[in-house]
Amino acid sequence: MDNKIKIRFTEEYGEYLRDESRQVGFADSISFVKSEEEIISVLKENYANKIPTTIQGARTGLAASSVPFGGHVINLSRMNKVNGIRYDEVNDKFYIKLQPGVLLVEIRKYLANKSFITDGWNDSSKNALYHMKKGEWFYSTDPTEISATIGGMVACNASGAKSFRYGSTRDHIQSIRAVLSDGDVISLRRGEVISDGRLFSVTTEGGRIISGRLPKYEMPNVKKNTSGYFNKLNMDIIDLFIGSDGTLGVISEIEIELNKKQKSNWGITIFMPDEDKALDLVRALRGEKIFCDRNAINLNPSAIEFFSHNALDMLREQQRVNPAFATIQEIKENYHTAIYIEIEDDSDDKIWAGVEELGEIIVKLGGDEDATWVANNPTNLEKLHSFRHACPECVNMQIDLIRKSDSRITKLGTDMSVPDNKLKDVMKMYNDGILENNLNAVIFGHIGNNHLHVNTIPRDMDEYNRGKELYSSWAEKIVSMGGAVSAEHGVGKLKVPFLQKMFTKDKIDDMRKLKKLFDPDQLFNRATIFPYVESKGVK
Amino acid sequence: MKIIVCIKQVPGTNEVKLDPATNTIIRDNIASIINPFDTYAIEEAVRIKEKMGAEIYGLSMGIPSSQEMLREAISLKVDKAMLLTDRKFAGADTLATSYALSLGIQKIGDYDLIICGKQAIDGDTAQVGPSLAKTLGIAYITDVSKIIEIKDNIMHCLKITDDGYEELKVKLPALISVVKEINMPRLPSIKGMKHARQAKIEIVTFADTDANENKLGLKGSPTKVRKTFVPTHEINSEIIEGTTEEKVNRLAEVLNSKAIRKGM
Repeated sequence: MDNKIKIRFTEEYGEYLRDESRQVGFADSISFVKSEEEIISVLKENYANKIPTTIQGARTGLAASSVPFGGHVINLSRMNKVNGIRYDEVNDKFYIKLQPGVLLVEIRKYLANKSFITDGWNDSSKNALYHMKKGEWFYSTDPTEISATIGGMVACNASGAKSFRYGSTRDHIQSIRAVLSDGDVISLRRGEVISDGRLFSVTTEGGRIISGRLPKYEMPNVKKNTSGYFNKLNMDIIDLFIGSDGTLGVISEIEIELNKKQKSNWGITIFMPDEDKALDLVRALRGEKIFCDRNAINLNPSAIEFFSHNALDMLREQQRVNPAFATIQEIKENYHTAIYIEIEDDSDDKIWAGVEELGEIIVKLGGDEDATWVANNPTNLEKLHSFRHACPECVNMQIDLIRKSDSRITKLGTDMSVPDNKLKDVMKMYNDGILENNLNAVIFGHIGNNHLHVNTIPRDMDEYNRGKELYSSWAEKIVSMGGAVSAEHGVGKLKVPFLQKMFTKDKIDDMRKLKKLFDPDQLFNRATIFPYVESKGVK
Repeated sequence: MKIIVCIKQVPGTNEVKLDPATNTIIRDNIASIINPFDTYAIEEAVRIKEKMGAEIYGLSMGIPSSQEMLREAISLKVDKAMLLTDRKFAGADTLATSYALSLGIQKIGDYDLIICGKQAIDGDTAQVGPSLAKTLGIAYITDVSKIIEIKDNIMHCLKITDDGYEELKVKLPALISVVKEINMPRLPSIKGMKHARQAKIEIVTFADTDANENKLGLKGSPTKVRKTFVPTHEINSEIIEGTTEEKVNRLAEVLNSKAIRKGM
């Protein structure tokens, strides 16, 4: 290899052909870059030789974006330094500048301990750290997978439970640097490069002007969406790169915004006697007026999560047979469907006022105030977090068991969202589909944004195939409801067919034209977002 | 039956930070919680109540703000709560604490069972339970991991030991301390919390008792801490190396050795 950073792909790098989606790809070479300069050097060579490049972080993605499709793999996990902190006095806000390979769990640890490795920081960063230590700050984006890298989170515009209140990754990114396929660098700071209607123009650090027209497609009217490129009239061009699944450039630096931590943080799990009542409770919790004789609840939850009755059955069963789940709370037999909320405010008393109202609503809906678990301190909150995480863990364990008898089987999980007024319709669609196909499935997830993860655990290949077909038919219906086929995991390679249900070929071609403005030879993340088409001269 | 649960307020953290200058625990910004072991004691009392009916008293000695912790116990279905609080109670070691708690217990009176957590996570002594039983002159069993049955004034239970379990019966009234294996404590419900906010906590000060002042607080505490250390458990391990045959022979030798058979 000409470039010393590039390593020929051998068996020992096998894990870099896979991610959490359990898809397996292929590649000729890999590099573990440590700086933007190294990214540039690798990309320049790849550009000259037309070698396609797949970008990887911690490979925790569920849509196979980081699974290589030939060519070179550029792995960013060793670019894991914190480059500095900035304090914005006017808005009393702190921002942290990160290399793309920093993990979410590391960000949380740095902030909890208020301790950073400050080698190479300038005085202004050190000074900002000194001020930051006086308060309590947190990064609000909270995907379940805490070993995800910040670069990966930006690439798929990750969100999580608290996105209900705080929005997704996009809403807390202040600036990025991205290396384009030819090795030129683009630096984007929020508010600085805005399109004029659909026309935009951006200048690279090399002095090249990239200008073009944004496509005409409309994004779905949902709160969580990462299905294809972000696209709006008069949009900030930084948003084009966020959620672009690594198809436009290699993100080499990210500045995230921090939020002030509230003094009180509560979690409440509410068990309702049936699903319909649970859905009404969700509507009430997000501020909809569900009874004509009383006002909406004044609680402002940061997260509204859901556990279907079959998810609770699965947890009950695992609790009985598996010692690993013996420490989660006991779920009574009459508990049918669960809603979990988290609330943050500056005092316990303020939260309590809302909780009292919540109790009244529960009773009015036919529920029982005693069928609730309230956690108002970190110790108990941790118990409710364990309960919430037990659901996907249980599913993964069962899948691993089934895969021992048939390795072709993988978990089938949905990641679609719909507008608020379609909540009951989408739940009916999921329940009917599971029942009609006699599938072994559980539903949980971010119901506040009508964004649920239906997880099917296929018992054999027949169920696996039926499940896949069902998901495809759901994608069509989701589109007709005005929803998004990918809400937080990205399109990657797995959901390319789903995206084609959401957008016509013309619209996807428009997206491809946009990609080609930044990546003319379509070298980045081949077969991601777009179906793979051979291009002339590309290896 | 009447059950008394002894509850202590402790700092709510697993990561204790020490002040390097004074070597004392930094308690700033750390909210207080019910001693985690005591949550198992509360839960066990509530389970007995749900099974056979009982009236549960929560009892604590501590600073006035411990009332909030007792309120939390009430939200977990404890019926009544009493807090012993007075400057004269302050600075107590385990002996003086048990004496003070015994004053509260005498006020509650006529009890069948006292349940304590195994130990508090801040002091880690595990002495208050047994010492309290001694002060009251009743039988006690420590490290209870299961209550098998309570019938005809006899409690039948399992005690966890280093080597396994002991099955024991004790005549009531008695005191037990419980380990975390005994149950999974519930979290409070909205209903429980609404009830607890209105509940009245009985406050007992020195003046409300006919206590011997010399047995209370710092005065009544003979304990002097000279050194603290974590007890070590000696575990011998051996890595067996060699050819397969050598390894099998050595493993058979070890399995046949006295040490292993003794434990069987």
